Amino acid sequence: MIYNEIATVVSNCQIADNIYQAYLYSPKISKESKPGQFINILPMENWINVMRRPMSIASQEKDKISIIYKVFGEGTKIMSQWSENDKVDITGPLGNFWKDFNTYHPILIGGGVGIAPIINLHNMLLSMKIEHHLIMGARKKEEHFMDHDPQNNIFLSTDLDEYGIKGNVLIALEKILKKRNTDKHKIFTCGPPGMMNAIANYSLINEIECDLALETIMACGVGICQGCTVTLNKDIKNDSYREKYALACLDGPVFNVKDIDNVCFNH
Amino acid sequence: MFALTINNIIFKSPILVASGTYGYGHEVSDIAKVDELGGIVTKSVTLKPREGNPPPRIAETSSGMLNSIGLANLGVEQFCKEKIPYLKQLKTNVIINIAGSTFQEYIDTIELLESCESNHVGYEINISCPNVKKGGMEFGVNSEMTEKLTSNIRKITNKLLIMKLSPNVTCIQDIAKAAENGGADAVSAINTVVGMGININTRKPKLYTAMGGLSGPAIKPIAIANVHKVYNEISIPIIGIGGITCAQDVVEFVLAGADLVQIGTYNYTNPNIGIDILADLENFCKENNIDNLSELKGKVSYHE
Repeated sequence: MIYNEIATVVSNCQIADNIYQAYLYSPKISKESKPGQFINILPMENWINVMRRPMSIASQEKDKISIIYKVFGEGTKIMSQWSENDKVDITGPLGNFWKDFNTYHPILIGGGVGIAPIINLHNMLLSMKIEHHLIMGARKKEEHFMDHDPQNNIFLSTDLDEYGIKGNVLIALEKILKKRNTDKHKIFTCGPPGMMNAIANYSLINEIECDLALETIMACGVGICQGCTVTLNKDIKNDSYREKYALACLDGPVFNVKDIDNVCFNH
Repeated sequence: MFALTINNIIFKSPILVASGTYGYGHEVSDIAKVDELGGIVTKSVTLKPREGNPPPRIAETSSGMLNSIGLANLGVEQFCKEKIPYLKQLKTNVIINIAGSTFQEYIDTIELLESCESNHVGYEINISCPNVKKGGMEFGVNSEMTEKLTSNIRKITNKLLIMKLSPNVTCIQDIAKAAENGGADAVSAINTVVGMGININTRKPKLYTAMGGLSGPAIKPIAIANVHKVYNEISIPIIGIGGITCAQDVVEFVLAGADLVQIGTYNYTNPNIGIDILADLENFCKENNIDNLSELKGKVSYHE
């Protein structure tokens, strides 16, 4: 079931450099949300733009959901100005969700704007007591909001600063994998296109299972506009529909690495 | 206050939803009161399934959006199997939008739908899709072709026949007259306006196909002008489309000459908008002592 709810802002705080977390009171959506799913947000009433802003759900607890977002454009700038008790029009929960984390040892990799669905999965696995690794990548130290905690399998990687593991998330991933050779692993990742492209290639070359939550431009979020196209790794056949071009809102946002074409990361 | 009859079909509300902005209805059934609409015009159906265009297919613009979906749809056979059962139980008028690249494709598609067990009330013929090489656009820019296509379809159906007009023509009135002469029951106007956007950093067009169709509030004045031009030339009903987001917009279209309207792009923001604004529309009528909205058709009063 999809709901359109007028949610109430419970809190909206900056948690790292230019990154915010907003908690929204939304009793209906929170009840049915699963990690990996998203909501489609109208940043303000009477907004002149015609497209909502899709955002991954970062947590769902009793009557509340949260989102984590980077201030990037017009919509997120307005969102960063939400105050407690503001009303926000949201639709959700939308899309599919993470699965198959029981049969493999999960390695979660999040970066940049893609941290919300990864944090959500991380917290769910913790509550289910499923052992896993978490890698969070950022360019600068200030963009991190967690602690580097290798004892608890939490690894931060930082491109430009000496913080956690120096370098990108792939360097952190290789370090972790070097120490582990018995388990079958599965990567769950969401992040900037360049990072996901690199992880996708790495997982294919090394034959590691990998699911990615893809971000695309999106309007309706419910399958009517057909704008959030994801190119699948198939040839275009005559007379087919949604066999070559899937929709991120209905068929995703979570896709298996083997199903998608790497042009997905080019725009 | 709103009831209107075209070709024996009763529209309980003047607000319909535009093709391509409401899927086949079921997608939004959780969050919209689909039955309370005046009607639903389906996403274009073609004879064969279509993948549509590669991404990116949409881009946001000032007060609007560009799209180039490319008529992605499941094809008429699957449509009959998968979509008609839901559409059949709706308590609103279902109008099936048809696209094709040849005369025969339009005819074959409609013949299949005529033989399908369904209660759709009519067809809206897309002769104006700007986003595919053969999306019917060659019909929509040529009066003779429009008249011929209209009369050919007229021969095979008694259902409501609406021709959807393009603003991307030299003289929209000529195309409207051709539709009327061909036997159409109504015309709808407008389809999207050809537009383009460029990412200045990558220097790539914002759409894969470079050009696409602009929709949303940005095109409302273009739509109002085109509806008004058509109103002055034809006597069959007009369905106004283009950037409607509120009751005032509906009134504006009626004053320009529309009998009914379709809401398009704004359904992406709020799929229940076509129902939400009815109360406002009713208030406007009451405050202005209007018994039936149709009294206002074409009643724009020019400056002296």
